[in-house]
Amino acid sequence: MTLSGESYIVGFVADVLGNFEQAVLLSVLRLGDGAYGRAILNEVQARLDREIAAGAVHATLNRLEGKGLLTSSLGPGTEVRAGRPRRYYKLSSSGQRALHEARAAVNNLWRGFRSPLKGHS
Amino acid sequence: MTPPMPPRWAETLLHLVLNSRDQATVSGDLLEEFRESILPTRGPWAADGWYIRQVMGFVVRSHVLPALVFGGAFVVRTALDWLQPPADFHTRSLVSTLVAASILLVSGFFASWKSGAILAGGLAGITTTALAALLSTIGALGLLAIWHDPTTLQAIKGSGGLREVFFLPLMLIVPGALLGTIGGVVGTLVHWSVRRSS
Repeated sequence: MTLSGESYIVGFVADVLGNFEQAVLLSVLRLGDGAYGRAILNEVQARLDREIAAGAVHATLNRLEGKGLLTSSLGPGTEVRAGRPRRYYKLSSSGQRALHEARAAVNNLWRGFRSPLKGHS
Repeated sequence: MTPPMPPRWAETLLHLVLNSRDQATVSGDLLEEFRESILPTRGPWAADGWYIRQVMGFVVRSHVLPALVFGGAFVVRTALDWLQPPADFHTRSLVSTLVAASILLVSGFFASWKSGAILAGGLAGITTTALAALLSTIGALGLLAIWHDPTTLQAIKGSGGLREVFFLPLMLIVPGALLGTIGGVVGTLVHWSVRRSS
């Protein structure tokens, strides 16, 4: 079986972008202008319905920024943070493309199956 | 009234393992979560526990790679001593000592280069060695589970015995701190010289 160029790229991006990375990117997208570390941590925890270590989210944000899928900028601190600044994240155009491609890859895998699954157990 | 703060030592530890770019923002995120969500719902003791767990997550995460290399090297050395025992351990010991020292120096260098603090190097040495000790213990137990025939048991005895396999990695924590600090001094110098020139 041969893969077309498009499906090869889709498969490659889906492999590169893990589930947790997708959860973080989608949280950044959902939070819009309010996407900073703590808000992203809480959003990811709510979506995945489990407690997540802040270090895991921080490492993922750094990695995604390094890959060019996110950009960041500093915002002012608040009293509750003892004046420490917030780092706000935004999805770059590459990040949006990667999310679209990851979704397309999953849709591709599910093509031909009806939900709920019947007769495949 | 002074606003509640997490344990100061944990905040210091957090700063030591973070890149200087992220120190204020990440500690601010944790402080905000601590004060607004965790403390009101869980109380002071549990909130302190939550904060310490988060910091430990950062500490382990930032040293897991050198610890894997160090622990892996230790397990390989143990396997070689048990399965291919040499007539003279001197060369093998020299090579493994140099490998271990290099890993700890590099680990300390990068930790201090990242954070800009000499102490980060010492912490890297301690954490890397402690995690590697844990990994090498698991690895040695695995080796023992596979190979425990009389010939191998004799080779284990000849290479220093099981006591050395399980206690030597723990005894390396102090030299690990020292080597990490030496690497940390160089890393800090590079950090500040790069910062000054840019």
